[in-house]
Amino acid sequence: MNGWRTLFPNALYIAVREYRSRVIGRTFAIGTVFLAVLIFSGTQLPILIDYLQGNSQTRMEVLVNAQSVPADWRETLDLVLNGAPSASNPRPSWVITPVTGTPDRAQQDLESGKFGALMTIDRDASGKLTFTIRADWSPDGRNAGYIKNAVQLLAIEDQGHLTLSDVTAPVALRLLPVNPQDGPTSLPKSTSQEVSSILVSTVLVVMIFMAIITYGTWVAMSVAEEKGSRVMELMLNATTPLQMLTGKVIGNGAAGLTQYGVVIAAAAIGTVAQGPIRRLVLPDSGGSSTFEGLTPAVLAAFLILFLLGFLLYSLLYAALGSLVSRQEDVQSATSPLMMIIMVGYFAAALGPDIVGEQGMAIMSQVPFFSPYVMLRRVAEGTVAPWEFGLAVVLLLVSIGIALFAAARIYSAGVLLYGQRASLREVMKAARVSR
Amino acid sequence: MALILDSVAKRFGDVQALDGISLQIEPGVVFGFLGANGAGKTTAMRIVLDILRPDSGTITWSGRSNTELPRETWGYLPEERGLYAKMNVLDQLVFFAKLHGVKPREARREAFEWLERFRIPEYANRRAESLSKGNQQKIQFIAAVLHDPQVLLMDEPFTGLDPVNVALLKEAFLEIKNRGKTLIFSTHQMETVEELCESLAILDRGRIAVQGTVRGVRASTGRQVVRLAIDGDPEIAWLETIDGLKVTRRGQDYTEAELERNRDPYLVLQAALSRNLRVRHFEIADPSLEEVFISHVGRIDDSERRLAPRAVHA
Repeated sequence: MNGWRTLFPNALYIAVREYRSRVIGRTFAIGTVFLAVLIFSGTQLPILIDYLQGNSQTRMEVLVNAQSVPADWRETLDLVLNGAPSASNPRPSWVITPVTGTPDRAQQDLESGKFGALMTIDRDASGKLTFTIRADWSPDGRNAGYIKNAVQLLAIEDQGHLTLSDVTAPVALRLLPVNPQDGPTSLPKSTSQEVSSILVSTVLVVMIFMAIITYGTWVAMSVAEEKGSRVMELMLNATTPLQMLTGKVIGNGAAGLTQYGVVIAAAAIGTVAQGPIRRLVLPDSGGSSTFEGLTPAVLAAFLILFLLGFLLYSLLYAALGSLVSRQEDVQSATSPLMMIIMVGYFAAALGPDIVGEQGMAIMSQVPFFSPYVMLRRVAEGTVAPWEFGLAVVLLLVSIGIALFAAARIYSAGVLLYGQRASLREVMKAARVSR
Repeated sequence: MALILDSVAKRFGDVQALDGISLQIEPGVVFGFLGANGAGKTTAMRIVLDILRPDSGTITWSGRSNTELPRETWGYLPEERGLYAKMNVLDQLVFFAKLHGVKPREARREAFEWLERFRIPEYANRRAESLSKGNQQKIQFIAAVLHDPQVLLMDEPFTGLDPVNVALLKEAFLEIKNRGKTLIFSTHQMETVEELCESLAILDRGRIAVQGTVRGVRASTGRQVVRLAIDGDPEIAWLETIDGLKVTRRGQDYTEAELERNRDPYLVLQAALSRNLRVRHFEIADPSLEEVFISHVGRIDDSERRLAPRAVHA
């Protein structure tokens, strides 16, 4: 293999050619626009969910333990939480009723789901009102804003006079889960919160999954195309298999990154636009617009795993692509690889509920699965730094091995024409090829 | 300085593609590779180019092993023509030249020169797929020579070209030869070899049947050809009765016969004269390359041979 010493500049020329021919095509433009639109819409999903939930109704019972609470507390809460009744929204979001039975009974009813939330109003030692809400969701976005406003107004009303500090000082408001035995931290997330954090890890995993399949197939296609059109024979004299392999992986990878750059830009714009769009769709929401869990660390992990995963798989795609003579055969030739990709993807998609924590930890170290499984674990925040480092090292090592193996298979495969070569033939050819 | 193949052998499964061939090709010559389909011509070329590695044997050019020589030493026109279909002609010519280390500007200039020579400069900015097969073949030829290789190997360069383009390609051959380069090509067309080549080798099932200069090869069978025309007797039926003589062609102009080794062709003339016949034409010649080829290899186009296992041969 005299190619190891002289990888560049030929690999670069090949990469540039691959990149150009890939990006110029109409398929590339259409695919990019489609993905960008898809991802932009995805970022608006939490708004849609909030919008749909806006039409649902929550029953909240209120238990007043404090003495001399303003008599119109019910009207105050109702007004702030539901706003003035209007024709456009005749059905109020909240139904506020005082607890009729004993407190224990109210708690039982809450736990059995007879109503959605239980508010308790107490008075602390300094004489200020305190509020506790037990609910099976954590009020966020528009609900949180409303509730805060409502209890604040009630507190001010209770004091009977208004100073600036009253308005700005936080009112004692505790949000607790339904069951008193559950700590405050285990409060379940609201639907839109949950959706956005699932979105982040799911979307990132799906993006890696799609990238590896799509861009890996590009590599295999371009190998098969050169073989099919017989340009390969000219190329073989002009370059070494290793140069071709490297150039193709870099060129197609760069084209893939270009596409993903556009997609990620669309996602960023979508996230930034969430605020304005939310205000447009839900004018009276205080809404937070960031994605839960989309931290710089997760993004960095995504980029690293994306690149390494693509490198590993695309080398194998190139090797398998070299075994067929026509582009139509690429699909069937690369199906074994597809299976491996699927296993990793489904493990990451199903998560610890199916695979188990132990299984996830192990799979996140196996090079073929780690791009997905490790990413999900990173997004969930259940990974120690050394675990991530080990996975990266293992990926790098296996990329080295894959490069060597792929170059052997490739240099043998590109000269095999006719029916699809069996693995044995290829191994035999690989042993004697340069 | 020569290109030397020393006992090169290569086996694909059951087929012994090359069975220890040794060749010496002097620099600056035009060398022809003749052989039936599957005789091992393409394999031999690929091995010289270090695209395939031989099972045994060595290849050297100017004393250096082909595994150590830079790739730009060689130019290669493969038998299977192919270009990047969607890429325009000039771009791909420059691309291939760049891969061989030619500077882009120089490559463009050279490419235009060659396009002019082949009378297709207007195709420079056309996509390859829009060109006719013959024109694509010319582009491929340009791709093979653009980096000015020392040795140019061409697999069936004339196949599929019309007579005008064949003439253009022959001119290009001369141009490259005049630059002092070595040309090696395989073909089925004996006349082309006789016209262009200084030396040749006939390959038969992985072995070299005969090699040498064109004259040497034609004389190699030791047989002689006699052409005879007699007034008033186009058939010359009595010719067959001569011992060691085989009539190979009966035409209105003359009858051609082949004499076995060591037979004196003048016996034929004597026989005619002794019959008091009026001899209009008498000629002694070496057998044509085609006849030499057939006597060494059998039929010219014997495509079944490519699958012949070694056992049958040995």
